[in-house]
Amino acid sequence: MAISLRDLSVDYNLPIGTAHALRNVSLDIQKGEMLGLVGESGSGKSTVAFALMGLLANNATVTSGTAIIEGREFDLTKPNATAPLRGRGMAMIFQDPMLSLNPVFTIGTQLIEVLRRRAPDSDRKTRIAQAEDALAKVKLSNPKQRMNQYPHELSGGMRQRVVIAMALLSEPALLIADEPTTALDVTVEAQIMREIIGLRDRIGCAVLLITHSLGLVTEHCDRISVLYAGERLESGSVRDVQRQPGHPYTRMLFDCEIPIDRERHADTAQNRFTVIAGELPDPRRRPPGCIFNGRCDVSFADCAKVVPGDYPVAGNAAHGARCLRLVTP
Amino acid sequence: MTDAITVLGARLRFGETAALESVSVSIPQGACFGIVGESGSGKTTLMRAMLGLQRLDAGEIRILGTPLQQGRAALRQRARVVQPIFQDPAASLSPRSRIRTLMNEVGTVLKEPHAATHERLLVILKRLGLPDSVIDKYPHEISGGQARRVAIARALLVKPSILIADEPTAGLDVSVQGDLLNLLQDIRRAENITLVVISHNLAVVRLIAENAIVMRAGRVVEGGEVGPLFASPRQSYTRELFAAWPSLASNNKGR
Ligand SMILES: Nc1ncnc2c1ncn2[C@@H]1O[C@H](COP(=O)(O)OP(=O)(O)OP(=O)(O)O)[C@@H](O)[C@H]1O
Ligand SMILES: Nc1ncnc2c1ncn2[C@@H]1O[C@H](COP(=O)(O)OP(=O)(O)O)[C@@H](O)[C@H]1O
Ligand code: SF4
Ligand SMILES: [Mg+2]
Ligand SMILES: [Mg+2]
Repeated sequence: MAISLRDLSVDYNLPIGTAHALRNVSLDIQKGEMLGLVGESGSGKSTVAFALMGLLANNATVTSGTAIIEGREFDLTKPNATAPLRGRGMAMIFQDPMLSLNPVFTIGTQLIEVLRRRAPDSDRKTRIAQAEDALAKVKLSNPKQRMNQYPHELSGGMRQRVVIAMALLSEPALLIADEPTTALDVTVEAQIMREIIGLRDRIGCAVLLITHSLGLVTEHCDRISVLYAGERLESGSVRDVQRQPGHPYTRMLFDCEIPIDRERHADTAQNRFTVIAGELPDPRRRPPGCIFNGRCDVSFADCAKVVPGDYPVAGNAAHGARCLRLVTP
Repeated sequence: MTDAITVLGARLRFGETAALESVSVSIPQGACFGIVGESGSGKTTLMRAMLGLQRLDAGEIRILGTPLQQGRAALRQRARVVQPIFQDPAASLSPRSRIRTLMNEVGTVLKEPHAATHERLLVILKRLGLPDSVIDKYPHEISGGQARRVAIARALLVKPSILIADEPTAGLDVSVQGDLLNLLQDIRRAENITLVVISHNLAVVRLIAENAIVMRAGRVVEGGEVGPLFASPRQSYTRELFAAWPSLASNNKGR
């Protein structure tokens, strides 16, 4: 069953004014699929994840939004709306695995706690066996010995595997991974992505992957959503979006990616990097018209006045973008 | 010319783990030097040792020809020459003070009027794509990528002659990353800074560094000029590292 997030809007109260961090963001993820959520730093990706998990900061307010998970509807404007799902229907992998692990408990204690919450009636022996099995499934060496170790005794990559094992045991319908490999090198990154995919295939959950790596998205995700300054500017299958980006921002983002075989100037100070000129708009005052106006390289007069709707790209209903060019001949 | 940093036979153990084992490195002045390797290979430990934050079991480290001195006074003096950008940006930002306080401290250390520090700061923030308003926020009120850039802005504000950055581009989107790299390239040239970049972003290291080393399990397995090193790595480990790089492969999923 699909996971659906409808019209999520989140405000952060600031000493001066209110920052609108998200405006009517909607996402859909099919069971067994992985959706890549990308966008500029500060665009609101983690805010989406925290709002779903009910982990937003104290100065945050959800002003609109519903989530439909396993056929149940949750009104996200209510405090603790998704509390019944935490540790069961939803699990999250953070960039920093220590946010999910408690430094004072052994790995074993923490895994067994997940199982106790999920199946209070099972006995301890069964839980220990299940926990060890989960560690083995995420390819952690010596699972028996790891059960008695504390998080600080493991490397970053090993800790992230433990967090994935915890997610595996909670059998979520939705797994949210917020930059799960940012702190890890490419070899470990590839392994961790394999474990996340393994987990998804084993329990058939939906995965929301938040990442800055377009390489990871094109390699592993089915669909992609592009966030910019709190608004979703494009969404579609990875293949369609990569082949024909409907939004100039998406195109410019892909153009910034650095290929490993790019031509290299011997005088390295001459090697320059592609950027998207300009800055994110002030989250307290949304400018009129298109939110990307001012940084867009193909803007025209209407862009400053008309707020674009979500238009199909190349007549494909499953691929949409918010750009007036799509409806202006 | 004296090297910016010289490491001779560095060795360090944490219990059973050999975090550094016979590590010798020379980092020439004014160049960009890359350190790559899998997580846990000893990159951050080497950086901490170069900063004098981690005592070695054996070996020697020289900064601009001078052996590292222990002690608070030496540490403070060194901070004017070598500035770190730590892997975990939160660690360099105090949770209880606003970003403004942190930046003002730099002015105090440099004995520069706050107005002058502030003016330079605004230029750096702009280049890093940060709004001026971050100055009045607390670290928990900004996103991960913004926190990283704030830490970088602070290091640049000190005007060091050697900058050691641990994973400076992790958690940044490609455009902001490009901005930061262009900025580093500019100040490198304008102020003749020595730049040491620890990164698992091989595509980036390949383009900005002249020389690099590859570390594994506390040892330097391979090193030299980046051109030949990346074009034809001699060690199978280095080849593996490059092969794991995710490229913008064409996607065959979806409809
Ligand atoms: N507690 C808070 N109070 C005020 N503003 C906040 C708070 N938390 C986040 N913000 C702001 O909300 C916006 C969105 O932040 P968010 O952490 O969701 O970004 P992100 O897309 O995850 O960025 P990154 O890629 O850098 O992690 C940013 O402008 C950020 O500064
Ligand atoms: N304070 C410490 N106590 C014990 N072990 C440590 C400590 N710091 C680092 N290590 C270990 O030293 C090795 C190298 O770590 P580190 O330098 O952080 O690697 P890298 O930065 O390359 O990922 C790892 O095995 C790590 O677990
Ligand atoms: S609506 Fe106009 S400004 Fe916005 S992305 Fe399209 S062309 Fe650019
Ligand atoms: Mg984030
Ligand atoms: Mg490190």
